[in-house]
Amino acid sequence: MTLSSSQFMSMPLKGNLEEYFNIFIFMAVAFGISLFLVLLSFWRGPKRPDAEKLSAYECGFEAFSDARLKFDVRFYLVAILFIIFDLEIAFLFPWAVSLKSIGLFGFFSMLLFLGTLGIGFVYEWRKGALEWE
Amino acid sequence: MVNVEDLLFLIGYTLLIIIPLLLAVAYLTYVERKVIAAMQRRVGPNVVGWFGLLQPFADGLKLLHKETIIPTQANPFLFIVAPLLTFGLSLSAWAVIPFGPGMVISNINVGILYLFAISSLGVYGIIMAGWASNSKYSFLGALRSAAQMVSYEVSIGLVIVTILLSAGSLNLSEIVEAQQNIWFIIPHLPMAVIFSISALAETNRAPFDLPEAEAELVSGYNVEYSSMTFALFFLGEYANMILMSAIGSILFLGGWLPPLQIPPFTWVPGIVWFSLKMSFLLFVFLWVRATFPRYRYDQLMRLGWKVFLPFSLLWVILTAGVIVIL
Amino acid sequence: MTTTTLIFYILSGVLLSSAVMVVTTKNTVYGVLFLILAFFNAAGLFILAHAEFLAMILIVVYVGAVAVLFLFVVMMVNMETKKSQRMDRRYLLMGIFVGGVLVLELVVVFMSWNTSPEAFELIFAPQDGLSNTHALGALLYTHYALIFQAAGLILLIAMIGAIILTLRQRENVLKQKIGDQLARQAKDSVQMVDISPTSSFRNLESLDDSATPRGRTSRVS
Repeated sequence: MTLSSSQFMSMPLKGNLEEYFNIFIFMAVAFGISLFLVLLSFWRGPKRPDAEKLSAYECGFEAFSDARLKFDVRFYLVAILFIIFDLEIAFLFPWAVSLKSIGLFGFFSMLLFLGTLGIGFVYEWRKGALEWE
Repeated sequence: MVNVEDLLFLIGYTLLIIIPLLLAVAYLTYVERKVIAAMQRRVGPNVVGWFGLLQPFADGLKLLHKETIIPTQANPFLFIVAPLLTFGLSLSAWAVIPFGPGMVISNINVGILYLFAISSLGVYGIIMAGWASNSKYSFLGALRSAAQMVSYEVSIGLVIVTILLSAGSLNLSEIVEAQQNIWFIIPHLPMAVIFSISALAETNRAPFDLPEAEAELVSGYNVEYSSMTFALFFLGEYANMILMSAIGSILFLGGWLPPLQIPPFTWVPGIVWFSLKMSFLLFVFLWVRATFPRYRYDQLMRLGWKVFLPFSLLWVILTAGVIVIL
Repeated sequence: MTTTTLIFYILSGVLLSSAVMVVTTKNTVYGVLFLILAFFNAAGLFILAHAEFLAMILIVVYVGAVAVLFLFVVMMVNMETKKSQRMDRRYLLMGIFVGGVLVLELVVVFMSWNTSPEAFELIFAPQDGLSNTHALGALLYTHYALIFQAAGLILLIAMIGAIILTLRQRENVLKQKIGDQLARQAKDSVQMVDISPTSSFRNLESLDDSATPRGRTSRVS
């Protein structure tokens, strides 16, 4: 049987959850202030719309196509490579914090991991995936 | 349940941070104009108030009384949400910044990760703005900006890992305490350089201000914005600059710690040291803007992926090796 | 009902309803934004379970990186919502079939699931003064080293796969070659010519051709 949710819920509300409550309130105040500023300008500012003013800016021309056009595939490549390196960094965080307790074995374990990714990095470098012109 | 009195105190503390922060953001725009003016042998704003000291308020009031234009082609909901998100996030990060021993709203165990998470969300405000405006310039600017922020995020992550190796904790206060004997800038000087350059790229500041390159993209993702929605993007950028200076001084310059642990320095309260360090880093931000021409996009990508990434990875391994052997 | 319970139900309620919105909303961009909302609520649930590190990593990796890629893709698909509104019967049957198989598998797994008696105690593990980041680090790189290396290999495959799928070489583009720029010497590109005051311009033209700025590659030495 899995743990019932009532057992899970009976865990005490510990100090560290209160810290997150503080963050939540802080965020609420921060977003509240920004919303307030925008609403204030809606209230104070004039509202005199006309068709030209509301059209997208395009050097005086009429916009002749939808702006959401296809773009260079390399932006995807950057995004994918970023995900991979971000994951690698996610693995590095707990390692960095506990390196002193896991010692040499942990160090070489990570070295092997980085070596694996290093192969990939060299590959993408040689393939020219990092080239922009 | 949390009682009402505690909640009011909490909101009070929050405002105690946010209101000075907003003032600092307003005056940073003024200081920027004055500093760059001085570097170019101009006078800078000097009409509104003594030495133009009321200039930021004049600017703010003017923007407040402008019309908020929502283009017909735009997606109105996301168009309004994008600046709110940018500005709100740049303020939210301050919840975990320690201003002095114990002077922090929320002392969580994973403080530095919280900052990393918030800065990785910054990209959304820009993508949303570019997409929602439905203008070619906005869209291109947003794409460039997203790819740029994402690329330099990797090096910022590796810089943080180096600091973690030395400090052994993700808690910001403990990271500062770990610099009791020596500031991390001394053993990790190259990483400090990488961090400051990445911070420039992350906040879209000169010389990495390609997303808003006024000459080619007519100020990029915020071209369709006006009034307060524009002001929020603008203020968000400056709030992020202050945030990056705060992170920089916590990671490398010992946060609230005095330069030497001897009497004349220790008499000064920690928050003063912290502000001094932040002001210095902010000055460097402005100095860089007045000095360097804008980077080209291929140069920017090469610097991020081919120089910073391999170098900081090697530095991480080197630091770890030294720590394991010692 | 304690506060924690209340927060748990709010978070999971929003999580589930935004997950439903992800698949039902017609605008794909809103779909991704609902997905992000779902991630945030999942992070909230992690925090509720005292797994702070996982909560932050969920936001950094999934919201900060994966969802950005989704947004890129969805933006390029260009909101062709009209075409996809009518559901093809063939897809419906296929969908029900795949979904049914998944449900069946989940039921089988769930029926044979055993939780060891100590598991409940382990929820409280981070209480002994060790933050859960430390606890993770102490196990992941030593005790689970093989699985960790497997994760590295998967990342390697992902990297190579992404490059093979998306990379295409462009032709006729100008690239900056920093090495060549730095290696360039004055004697390669500048030619000193003595011009006597009496010589005519006609004589000089031939020299000019060979000493143009691009002369380094075009000149015959």
